[in-house]
Amino acid sequence: MSKISVAGVRSNVKELLEYSNETKKRNFLETVELQIGLKNYDPQRDKRFSGTIKLPTVPRPNMAICVLGDQHDIDRAKHHGVDAMSADDLKKLNKNKKLIKKLARKYDAFISSDALIKQIPRLLGPGLSKAGKFPTPVSHAEDLANKITEVKSTIKFQLKKVLCMGVAVGNVGMSEDELISNIMLSINYLVSLLKKGWQNVGSLTIKATMSPPKRLY
Amino acid sequence: MKRKLGALEKIDADLTSLQYKVRRDPQSYSEDHQQQYMQYQTLRDLLLQNPSTSDDTGIVRLNDLVDFVAHTADCYPKAAGPFADDLIQILSLHHDELQPDLRDKMVSSLVLLRNKDLIDSATLLNTLFPLLVSTHSKSLRALLFQKIISDLRSSNVKATNHRLNRTVQTVLFNLLSSDRESTKGLWAVKITRELWKRQIWADARAVDIMKEACLSENEKVITGGVRFFLGGDKEREEAADESSDDEIDMRTLRHQAGINKKTKKKARELKQAAANVKRKERKKNAPHPLNFSALHLLHDPQGFAETLFSKHVQNSKSKLSLESKIVVLQLVSRLVGLHKLTVISLYSYLLKFLTPRQNSVTSFLAILAQATHNLVPPDILEPLIQKIANEFVSEASASEVAAAGLNAIREVCARQPLAMSDTLLQDLVMYRKSKDKGVQMAARGLLSLYREVGAELLKKRDRGKDATIALISGGVKEQRFGEEAIGEIQGIDLLEQWKAEERRKRREAAGLPADVATDEEEEDEAENWKNWDVESDESDDSGGWINVESDGEDINISDSEDEKENGPAAKKAKVANSENGSKAQSEEPMQKQISKLLTSTILTPADLKQLRALQESAAVKSQMPGAKRAALLAARHADDAITADTIEAAAAIGKKSTKEERVAMAKGDRDEKHQSTTAKRKEKKESEGKSTTNKEKARKKNFLMTLGKAKGKNKRSLVDIKKTMQGHLDRSKRGGKRGNKGH
Repeated sequence: MSKISVAGVRSNVKELLEYSNETKKRNFLETVELQIGLKNYDPQRDKRFSGTIKLPTVPRPNMAICVLGDQHDIDRAKHHGVDAMSADDLKKLNKNKKLIKKLARKYDAFISSDALIKQIPRLLGPGLSKAGKFPTPVSHAEDLANKITEVKSTIKFQLKKVLCMGVAVGNVGMSEDELISNIMLSINYLVSLLKKGWQNVGSLTIKATMSPPKRLY
Repeated sequence: MKRKLGALEKIDADLTSLQYKVRRDPQSYSEDHQQQYMQYQTLRDLLLQNPSTSDDTGIVRLNDLVDFVAHTADCYPKAAGPFADDLIQILSLHHDELQPDLRDKMVSSLVLLRNKDLIDSATLLNTLFPLLVSTHSKSLRALLFQKIISDLRSSNVKATNHRLNRTVQTVLFNLLSSDRESTKGLWAVKITRELWKRQIWADARAVDIMKEACLSENEKVITGGVRFFLGGDKEREEAADESSDDEIDMRTLRHQAGINKKTKKKARELKQAAANVKRKERKKNAPHPLNFSALHLLHDPQGFAETLFSKHVQNSKSKLSLESKIVVLQLVSRLVGLHKLTVISLYSYLLKFLTPRQNSVTSFLAILAQATHNLVPPDILEPLIQKIANEFVSEASASEVAAAGLNAIREVCARQPLAMSDTLLQDLVMYRKSKDKGVQMAARGLLSLYREVGAELLKKRDRGKDATIALISGGVKEQRFGEEAIGEIQGIDLLEQWKAEERRKRREAAGLPADVATDEEEEDEAENWKNWDVESDESDDSGGWINVESDGEDINISDSEDEKENGPAAKKAKVANSENGSKAQSEEPMQKQISKLLTSTILTPADLKQLRALQESAAVKSQMPGAKRAALLAARHADDAITADTIEAAAAIGKKSTKEERVAMAKGDRDEKHQSTTAKRKEKKESEGKSTTNKEKARKKNFLMTLGKAKGKNKRSLVDIKKTMQGHLDRSKRGGKRGNKGH
């Protein structure tokens, strides 16, 4: 396909939503993923890119988040019903690699208070950053709930050892317009990251967890 | 005597001619071949009794026979099997005792058998590889290395031979892991590096071999492996560039073929060149191979960096020299910086090396800078920076030392700005008043860095205009540890404004009311996407109108905020309009926070181009040198290495240079040979095989050929001369030979 149009995206999204919400409704909230294939891209010469962007709507509302914080933040977290751990809890892990790995696997993202975050590398070692889940700082002045939605709605484009990648951009519970705006924003941001813009894009596909893929470009 | 020589020659000729005959008609000559083969067997048995024999005639004869049998092996495949086995056995058992000539002949015969596909690559490599590792002869090693590489290359030409590669890689890996202390592993490193360079092996397995090499016990093997990670990718890139360099000019060749004598050889050469060009063309159009850098292909970089550091550097039992230790540290720090690893003990280890007296201290400074990234806790870095400041940067220390120290601090802080305290920074920034140019520049570099990343640490008067404005208006947010900047498309608001302006104008021109007509919008977009293919063809030359923009209209610095917002966009639209015709754009009303444009439309190539242009001009406007600096900062990528040269660069500025250096600098990149433009043009024309003018031909004509005519002119009688002159006069009166003057 040589071009991508708003109308095309819209019809694809419609089909996708129809399939997942009516034709074959699953027992869980399916996530919609944007899969990207790159072309004409020499990872050695063009340097690898990475970038994060905040989407207008939260793509995965069920993300598990853990607050690593001081007493004040733990209280706030409890108030919002979010899991929380204190510095002492972290010390109890005793730098045990397996336990830290388990912790990193249990949650999708971490938030840490300003005072504690500087200790994280010392307390937990490389475990969290290895999993790509290094905490986001939050200060006492900031609203924790806002921070949590911000973290939930932030997605990351990162090229690993292959020339394709996938990011979660939404779920099938979202309205068509919300999903479209999330997809558009991700595509636009991705293209602006690439050195040669659209010439580097090989394919764009959207797919819900259990739906057939729909090719956009 | 004479007759004897003739007889000898006859024998020699016999084998070659027999070989020729056998290849023409294998069946009728099988008897003769059988005979020779028997002879070979007897000689072989003799040799096996006493492998180190130096009996000349026997060995020479055996040499010839081996050659003969190998060359005719494909005609009698039955005999080929045992023959190959013989060679393999002799080589693997007696390679050290054999005469060098015979040994080399056997190796090349074996390779020949492989090329004829009578044995497979795995057998050949399994034979050659143990020899390479165990032999004491240097020449044999060189031969074997070359043969192994070429065999691997040829078996990977058409398609990657995954199976073979995997077996060879396993052999190499086992070689490294079985005996960690011997130098034998060096061959694994050499072979892998060579094949990596030629892009035959570019996968994670090859990287794994090198990783194993880095973790061996032998210093040579370790440095070999480490150097591969530090320079292997660059080497590969250079090799790729080199191979595409030698261009063949087909036009010249064809032209020359038309002029020069036509021979079969010339025709063949032309054909070959054409095929070559075609192949290259195809290669150029082929999709890029996946060239991931070796550092990225590593599995578990964290574990690797940790073991490297603890095994070779921190370990008191490791006996590496300082030089190799530095190389290992460079790799560790490279990994740490690139993959953002956490190796906390590295920093405290580096602390003791940060004194000016330390050997190759700039390397250590570079290592420190390289190992810094935004996830390193600032409190670990603070003592290091403090120490550099104390040890290097003082009034008493030499200027180069101070410059290197300041530069190192800047490099560290560029990666982790939070590691600096305000008192120290304010102290260090004072050095910009230093007498020495190098120190001055380094301090200025630090100052300008902090104007951008942490102006609040600077004294008020040092902050500069832009940083102060930004601080007051709250434009810059204080950076916090662990915070990832959320990306945005820079200048998207500019693009939006530009589009709105564009739309308004078009509507005015068309005399339409201000609200949007949807079909028109759709039309616009369709038109916009038409440019798609055109633009992808002329990929790199960015349309002419961007240049026009930077002509000077951008450098008006407007004072009022309003004008700044609308004025330039409008102007730009004008320029774009006049140059580009009416470039159709779709448009959207503006919105706060996340731009509506981004969520409801898809940026077309034209939009992206416009966006880039707008970004550029906006940067030019805001502050000239600052924009340059920001661009420099952005251009620096985590994938790039820092070397000692980076740290020393500032010191070099202040240093008084010798006369030779100054002369060389002044000459710079100018050509060695000065030439006038006409001369250059002429040379170019000549090299392209273009024809010459008559004037040039006359000028170049051999002097002896012109002699006769000149002589004739001198010999003329007076009458003749008068006649010609009269003729000339008449002619000029008539108005030339044709007499077309009109009377």
